[in-house]
Amino acid sequence: MFSNDAQCRLLFTKESLMLDAFSRAVVSADASTSCIGSNKISELREYLAAANRRLDAVNAIASNASCMVSDAIAGIICENQGLIQAGGNCYPNRRMAACLRDGEIILRYVTYALLAGDASVLDDRCLNGLKETYAALGVPSTSAVRAVQIMKAQATAHIQDSPSEALAGAKLRKMGTTVAEDRCASLVAEASSYFDRVISALS
Amino acid sequence: MKSVVTTVIAAADAAGRFPSTSDLESVQGSVQRSSARLEAAEKLGNNIDVVARDSYDACIKKYPYLNNAGEAHSTDTFKAKCARDIKHYMRLIQYCLVVGGTGPLDEWGIAGGREVYRALGLPTAPYVEALSFARNRGCAPRDMSPQALTEYNALLDYAINSLS
Repeated sequence: MFSNDAQCRLLFTKESLMLDAFSRAVVSADASTSCIGSNKISELREYLAAANRRLDAVNAIASNASCMVSDAIAGIICENQGLIQAGGNCYPNRRMAACLRDGEIILRYVTYALLAGDASVLDDRCLNGLKETYAALGVPSTSAVRAVQIMKAQATAHIQDSPSEALAGAKLRKMGTTVAEDRCASLVAEASSYFDRVISALS
Repeated sequence: MKSVVTTVIAAADAAGRFPSTSDLESVQGSVQRSSARLEAAEKLGNNIDVVARDSYDACIKKYPYLNNAGEAHSTDTFKAKCARDIKHYMRLIQYCLVVGGTGPLDEWGIAGGREVYRALGLPTAPYVEALSFARNRGCAPRDMSPQALTEYNALLDYAINSLS
């Protein structure tokens, strides 16, 4: 039926996997052809109860994205001036721009994962093959990891809405959303886990 | 698997942008209606065996010819498969209630369904009858809240329309 292997693969390519907390529950229940149980449903109710906080967190990151990315890239360059000297990976501007663009892409997929409450979109559309791509292009993984670490710290501060005056100085910017008592600890932990996922994929 | 959130993310990703305010608002809109959906999903999940069995009995009662030799309900194996199919639809409806969209029904129930039934020589009318029975038996607030029942019935209607 299929004239060659490539054609066959084209037809049966696994559809891109993107799940959120809800469709994850569906796919795992379907694997055992069972209904979604009451305990899973109460977990989903927790997601919904905290949904406004989650949307605020996503909004906080999305609203500050370009600042976060440029600060993270500026940070790795401050720590390693060799990057912007001839032969460095952020020299000339063309490569610097590529670096900023990649920072934004990674942050964007982390934001998607946070919105979905599931890491599949990050894994499938961003991290899959990223390390190999960077190795092939000669991108230093230590610098890339450091930039992600900086973005992780920034995301934590933005989700908690607790930027420090000492560090931020004139750039201090508060989102001004209602501050939850626990400073959205579970969302901070969840967002951090997505950044950690990026770091371990690159390391 | 499509849900409100994955649809929003797919659109944002195609445009290469961060989730916008309108994206977040459409997610919030679905969140606000979700308590009714989850209530329906929980009640259906807890009673799925009874719901599926009663619907199955109703359709066999309406179409007794299916019991005749050679028909789709003539042997024990066939009977078990019929009951399983009805339960399968009810399970997909539960999944749809959870994700807040028709993704599970579309992908696992409807896509190719017509072709499969035709290939196996199965009539779709009994399935319609079974789902219609489920559609008409639900009663608020006895079984679930009115809003939950609305969400549940809408999905049954969707499945019925896809088969008729």
